[in-house]
Amino acid sequence: MTTLNTQALSNDDIACIRQQYPLVFKNNKSRIINLSLIILLIAYISASLWYFEIWRLLDASDRVWRLIKAMFIWQDMANWQYANIYKGIAQTLAMAFLGTLLASIFALMLGFMAARNTMPYMLFRQLIRRFLDILRGVDQLVWGLVFVRAVGLGPLAGVLAIFVSDTGTLAKLYSEAIENVDRKQVEGVHATGAGSLKVVRYGYLPQILPLFISQSLYFFESSTRGATVLGLVGAGGIGMIIIERFRANMFDQVAFVVLNVLICIYIIDWISARIRNYLIAKDKTTFAR
Amino acid sequence: MAATTQSMPEQNLDIVTLFEKRRLEVIKEKRAMNILFAACFLAALVASIYISNFYPEKLLSGLPRIFEYFGTIMPALEFDKLFLGIQANGKATSGSIAYWYSDFWLYIRLIIETIFMALTATILGALAAFILCFPASRNLAPNSTIYWFSRRFMEICRGVPEILYALIFVFAVGIGPLAGGLAIAIHTAGALGKLFSEVNENTSMRAVEGIRGLGGNWFEEIRYGIVPQVLPNFTSYTLLRFEINIRASSIVGFVGAGGIGQELSRVISLYSDDRVTAVLLLIIIVVTIIDLLSERVRMKFIGKESFQ
Repeated sequence: MTTLNTQALSNDDIACIRQQYPLVFKNNKSRIINLSLIILLIAYISASLWYFEIWRLLDASDRVWRLIKAMFIWQDMANWQYANIYKGIAQTLAMAFLGTLLASIFALMLGFMAARNTMPYMLFRQLIRRFLDILRGVDQLVWGLVFVRAVGLGPLAGVLAIFVSDTGTLAKLYSEAIENVDRKQVEGVHATGAGSLKVVRYGYLPQILPLFISQSLYFFESSTRGATVLGLVGAGGIGMIIIERFRANMFDQVAFVVLNVLICIYIIDWISARIRNYLIAKDKTTFAR
Repeated sequence: MAATTQSMPEQNLDIVTLFEKRRLEVIKEKRAMNILFAACFLAALVASIYISNFYPEKLLSGLPRIFEYFGTIMPALEFDKLFLGIQANGKATSGSIAYWYSDFWLYIRLIIETIFMALTATILGALAAFILCFPASRNLAPNSTIYWFSRRFMEICRGVPEILYALIFVFAVGIGPLAGGLAIAIHTAGALGKLFSEVNENTSMRAVEGIRGLGGNWFEEIRYGIVPQVLPNFTSYTLLRFEINIRASSIVGFVGAGGIGQELSRVISLYSDDRVTAVLLLIIIVVTIIDLLSERVRMKFIGKESFQ
């Protein structure tokens, strides 16, 4: 079999094909470019790791072992203050829920103000949009830190941080959805002589409601993740318990808490996927009817 | 059927009553569902207000303090002194930009460190994800045990927030950008690995079958059958991740893992003056510029690939 193949394709044939289809075969130029890219990459990685003092990883082995051992061998489980831990998790969920709820209400109003077809005044619209850009540009954790300074430690700062950063993102999504609505329904409601509030209620809202609900649910999920770490800067919730236990070198408890939070987030993902599916499916059947 | 013998108006009436009956049923069903949802929603609302102590009077007493705080961190710029440089005695005029950004070069050094941290973490994470994603795709995994383990490993990597990893690494290797870089790299490996394996699962298996027919082993199947198909998508996902990692690396400093976050956290917790807005503004500007640049590059990559 192999001898037959080599006979069928002589070296001349291969050279001929190479010349005919230069792009299929690797030529020297692309080989050099690829090689230099790889060398550049390796050089960059080694330089930056050297700058970051990678050798500290080798010195750390003792502490790493202590850490790993404590994470898998749980001691003294009777005195772990479970009530405290689960209260923290409940607080995290509550923060995420309230923050996302407030954010979606405000974002809906801001979305109408930032959409091209509902806000005719360019200057005002641009002002709102830049304001939303700033809300979005600052990370949730930074907002958490700022609000802790402003209103003190505790869940209020966390709710405000989630509220502010989610408002920025949700309002942008809503304003894009409002810009993409079907004009016909809006004009139809307008033609009946309805006021602007009724046009919004019966012309715009039914069209953006499915997106509104599914995006809010998505953001509730992501805020739950966000709320977990907000506590690290003192903004309430389970993060405060995590960092407290971490500082006290109780790594087994930290592992337990993180595991609980992960399970909780997994359950929320599952439930909200169910709700989304239900709402979208219901919406489709009403449309077909 | 009896309907055929009935006269036209009666038949119509029959259909109308049927319709009305059905309509009432649907409305009833819908109303019951809505009431159930509303009840669940209200219960959740009351419970969360109770648990997080989010009472109106607390919010109202906090609200003025928020505005007060934002007032204090605004820079006191005076228009006529705006562009005055540093004076002969080495001090900047109060009210000028030079006074507002008196630690400018420190911030720039930290921002460069932040960008390096994000870049290194993205490259390391993408390499790890590249290795992990092939055993974690359903169509390419050599056997189900390896598939299951690589999937779970990636889930652990991306399930834990990067700042928690940063906390752990700061304990293990000490304060500095190494901890932050490693933390972000681990999170990136998990997140990108999932996206990469989804790309792999959507590829055409014909090239793989051809190579298998020629007697290629698993590595050759991947190298010549899958990698050429998925490389453009991998590149654009990696660039997208770089944008996310820039944001992440600007905050891992909160727990001491290097970058501008360390300075931001210090400035916010120790002072409440214009230094806070100075650092924040700089971060927003850098993040925006990198977003725009990376978007350009991404468009170029995808455009080039789709035209070939």
